[in-house]
Amino acid sequence: MCQSCHVRADSTYRTAGTAGITGEGAAGLTMHAPQAAHTVTLPGSLDEAVAALAAMPAAVPVAGGTDLMAAVNSGLLRPAALVGLGRISEIRGWQYQDGHALLGAGLTHARMGRPDFAALIPALAAAARAAGPPQIRNAGTLGGNIVTAAPTGDALPVLAALEASLVIVGPGGRREIPVGRLLAGVEMLAPGELIGYVRVPLLYAPQVFLKATSRTGPSRAVASVAVVLDPARRMVRCAVGAVAPMPLRPYEAEHWVASLIDWDGERTLAPEACAAFGDYVAAACIPDPAPGPDGTEPGTLPPAVLHLRRTVATLARRALGRALA
Amino acid sequence: MTGMGGNAGTGGLGGVGVDASSVPNLASLATATAPPPPAEAPPHGLGVSLPPADAAAKTQGTFPYAADLWAEGLLWAAVLRSPHPHARILSIDTRTAAAMPGVHAVVTHADVPGDAAHGRKVADRPVFASELVRHHGEPIAAVAADHPDTARLAAAAIVVEYELLEPVTDPELAFSAEPLHPDGNLIRHIPLSFGDPEVTGEVVVEGLYRIGRQDPAPIGAEAGLAVPRPDGGVEIYTASTDPHNDRDLAAACFGLEPERVKIVVTGVPGAMGDREDSGVQLPLGLLALRTGHPVKLAATREESFLSHAHRHPTLLRYRHHADAEGKLVKVEAQILMDAGAYADSSSDALAAAVAFACGPYVVPHAFVEGWAVRTNNPPSGHVRGEGAMQVCAAYEGQMDKLAAKLGLDPAELRMRNVLATGDLLPTGQTVTCPAPVAELLAAVRDFPLPALPKDDPEEHWLLPGGPDGAGDPSAVRRGVGYGLGMVHMLGAEGADEVSTATVKVSGSVATVICAAVETGQGFATLARQIVQEILGIEDVHIAPVDTDQPPCGPAAHGRHTWVSGGAVERAARMVRTQLLQPLAHQFGMSHELLTIADGKITSYDGVLSTTVAEALDGKELWATAQCRPHPTEPLDETGQGDAFVGLAFCAVRAVVDVDVELGSVRVVELAAAQDVGRVLNPAQAETRIEAGLTQGLGAALTENLRTSAGLVRRPDLTGYALPTALDAPDIHIVKLVEERDVVAPFGAKAISAAPVVTAPAAVAAAVRAATGRPINRLPIRPQTAVAGG
Repeated sequence: MCQSCHVRADSTYRTAGTAGITGEGAAGLTMHAPQAAHTVTLPGSLDEAVAALAAMPAAVPVAGGTDLMAAVNSGLLRPAALVGLGRISEIRGWQYQDGHALLGAGLTHARMGRPDFAALIPALAAAARAAGPPQIRNAGTLGGNIVTAAPTGDALPVLAALEASLVIVGPGGRREIPVGRLLAGVEMLAPGELIGYVRVPLLYAPQVFLKATSRTGPSRAVASVAVVLDPARRMVRCAVGAVAPMPLRPYEAEHWVASLIDWDGERTLAPEACAAFGDYVAAACIPDPAPGPDGTEPGTLPPAVLHLRRTVATLARRALGRALA
Repeated sequence: MTGMGGNAGTGGLGGVGVDASSVPNLASLATATAPPPPAEAPPHGLGVSLPPADAAAKTQGTFPYAADLWAEGLLWAAVLRSPHPHARILSIDTRTAAAMPGVHAVVTHADVPGDAAHGRKVADRPVFASELVRHHGEPIAAVAADHPDTARLAAAAIVVEYELLEPVTDPELAFSAEPLHPDGNLIRHIPLSFGDPEVTGEVVVEGLYRIGRQDPAPIGAEAGLAVPRPDGGVEIYTASTDPHNDRDLAAACFGLEPERVKIVVTGVPGAMGDREDSGVQLPLGLLALRTGHPVKLAATREESFLSHAHRHPTLLRYRHHADAEGKLVKVEAQILMDAGAYADSSSDALAAAVAFACGPYVVPHAFVEGWAVRTNNPPSGHVRGEGAMQVCAAYEGQMDKLAAKLGLDPAELRMRNVLATGDLLPTGQTVTCPAPVAELLAAVRDFPLPALPKDDPEEHWLLPGGPDGAGDPSAVRRGVGYGLGMVHMLGAEGADEVSTATVKVSGSVATVICAAVETGQGFATLARQIVQEILGIEDVHIAPVDTDQPPCGPAAHGRHTWVSGGAVERAARMVRTQLLQPLAHQFGMSHELLTIADGKITSYDGVLSTTVAEALDGKELWATAQCRPHPTEPLDETGQGDAFVGLAFCAVRAVVDVDVELGSVRVVELAAAQDVGRVLNPAQAETRIEAGLTQGLGAALTENLRTSAGLVRRPDLTGYALPTALDAPDIHIVKLVEERDVVAPFGAKAISAAPVVTAPAAVAAAVRAATGRPINRLPIRPQTAVAGG
């Protein structure tokens, strides 16, 4: 059980900063008043966090808070209680387990962006570096990115391409589900459950994450593509983010391009093959409109969608080209 | 000015790359007028980079803005805003909200004691929508409660029954649509006609251009605190940029005499035009009057995006005629501006758009027809460079087209047509101020181009798409483009542009009392420099601004540099005369032979030497003066008239890299040359130009508040992409042409607006050059910057 980690925040807005969740303005005022939850729990281990959630079913777990606190501040969410995950040191690093890395859900984007992590899982590091301005990357976590499940979440296509699985901890113990099943809504987190770890295979091969944005500085992806090589299984895996509510996997394009690669030799492809792969991926993710049920002529895609398809094709071509370079 | 001051100025000027010829001037002036001061003397006076007095407080986060204010026993307000762009209000039921514990008052249109509608030129905007909702986010009711959350919940508990109406969102359909307002949908129509309509040129190019809706997106959202007064009036603390006008509007709505409403201007967290929203100030004042308590409101970012004035989205159709040498013969244009639901300052924006529709070029025959119309889109109003910016993007697009058709270099074609002093604008007004357009264009054209990064290591390249991004060197094309822009200074068409300032000297301290609002444009620093220059007093305080002071007008169109700076100068000179007259009389010499520097008064021959404090002898000296520029006249029914007091010009050369497969654009460099009259504060001039160019870059690439069927789609800073530090390019201020404008105080021209106007056109021209695509829409969408797409 958690030891004396219940911190009560005064319910008046003038002192709402005591729990360290909300800051106070320069003049001792805050505009956004007692959105600070009445109870804030700061467990020190995953088991304590699970117990705290079981004790207060209405509590909301919070890690970096980059999405959650924005919703609180805009009045969209008013949690009755918060369980802060920031002090659980066991999920802020990673460990190795039979050819996999077991990544703590509390790993920040800033940590994943560092060179030692990039040597392990290059595409995830690239996605973490692209995930926003430094303030967001310092606070936002891998687990938070998965739970928020925004279509533009940068880590998501990488995890989908890596075929990562999630270690879920809850009152009933631990279970493991593929990340795609959670993102697709096939399986959900039950009440009281948390993402503890993310299991990612270590492939020791090039991986690329690319995203198209509307400006040079940090911004949400218009489209993103992750390409991962798996030489042991002679596979290329690709996922496309931001164009649909969840990352999309173009399986046929993956198999086709994997069959072209000489896995025992140079592992290179002609530029035309990379371009064809890009077009294949884009057409799979943004298909042409189907003809009507009564055989009427299908409509044409609007120019903005055509541009998005061209963007996906370009990103996939470049990503594969860089992975094979 | 002191020798030290002169030296500091020289360094600053060198830093911004000013024409070297101006530097010896300053230095010689300095040595001629004053002995060298002690080495530690701080910079002071005109022409030096005096830092702003509030710089430390702002950087340390202790500078108070309106959102930081507090009053004992204050209530919090929330405004209920319409979720629909166009609807008839059938009923408003506030009973549930009013009965909520903690709620002190709920006000709707029925509780407005004075005029129901207000507006700058046309009183067409209701305080609260009564029968009709005309735009998404229009205020409908407001609540005061003892807690901001209670206020917000109570506002959400107000039940409004709407009958949804079809929104008018296409300005082209506004002419035939049902009137959105009793006076119809046409706010203003200017059919400018200049020259012979029958003339045609050997070469004709046509184009259709669309400019998006830029939001000023100030860093601090709207906020205010209203405090009731014992006399039944109210004081509103807010970051108003036009306090007297806001006071008059508020007093009329509250049914009070203007004297019983006072606006106290707080720190301004960013202003690009009209800053504050009447949909915040008026409900605050009404609630304070109703409850007898101070009431505070700090708008959310969403409210801010919905309700303040935006740049007019504009549709422009052009036809340029030129002869075989590329000399312009005739320009025909149609300009349609989307004003949103209310008139606000749209007629001024339209006048600027029509008058500058041909740009800083000599055009013998011009036929420009402009309309500003009402729609149910978000409201448009005064945003720096309005009117001039939209037409600049279009006429420069036409100049590029003409150059391509004639096979001429775009800079050369522009050079063959540039305007100069003595030429006529299409409004028939003669350009009497300095118009060194050719010099500006030559300066940016001849400035060395930035090197391609091919010799640098690849990891140093910053490609479109950002560091570690998707950019691919093989798909990146570089383009160079030019833009020439012009803006007018001060209000136009007969506006009474007057400003009043008071200068007081007491002991060794001078105080300036002037209701010109420091919005970040640097007026407070300039006023200190002026007093230092004229009175030789180091320690100059600028009094806080409120509406008990005489009016100074809006902080717009560079007015305060001109009229308020002029008023401060005159008041300071009057104080100087009062100070020196007795001494001069005593020594039997004219007071012009006395100089003041570093708090000491000396005569030309060195016989007399005393200090300012001694001369004052414990007295306080006060003087108040006004500055009123020469009058202007409205444009007549054919768009003719001397409508503008002064003009300022700017030339920008943009260098861009475009990833022609993804359509992503990175501006590598902006080189600017500007006609500034005289540099009064080099560091400040540099920052204003950098800020203006960056705002223009935002309008060119990303900034567009998008709507669908009149609803603002993403009113947040994620959906509305402002330029970041990585998007801001290298900026080179190649030349500041210091040709004094004889009618302006100090000969100086306002600096802020011209770069905003010119940069988008230059960026579009550069993307055009890189991709070969027409680029006729701002902001530039990626699909239009894809080569061959």
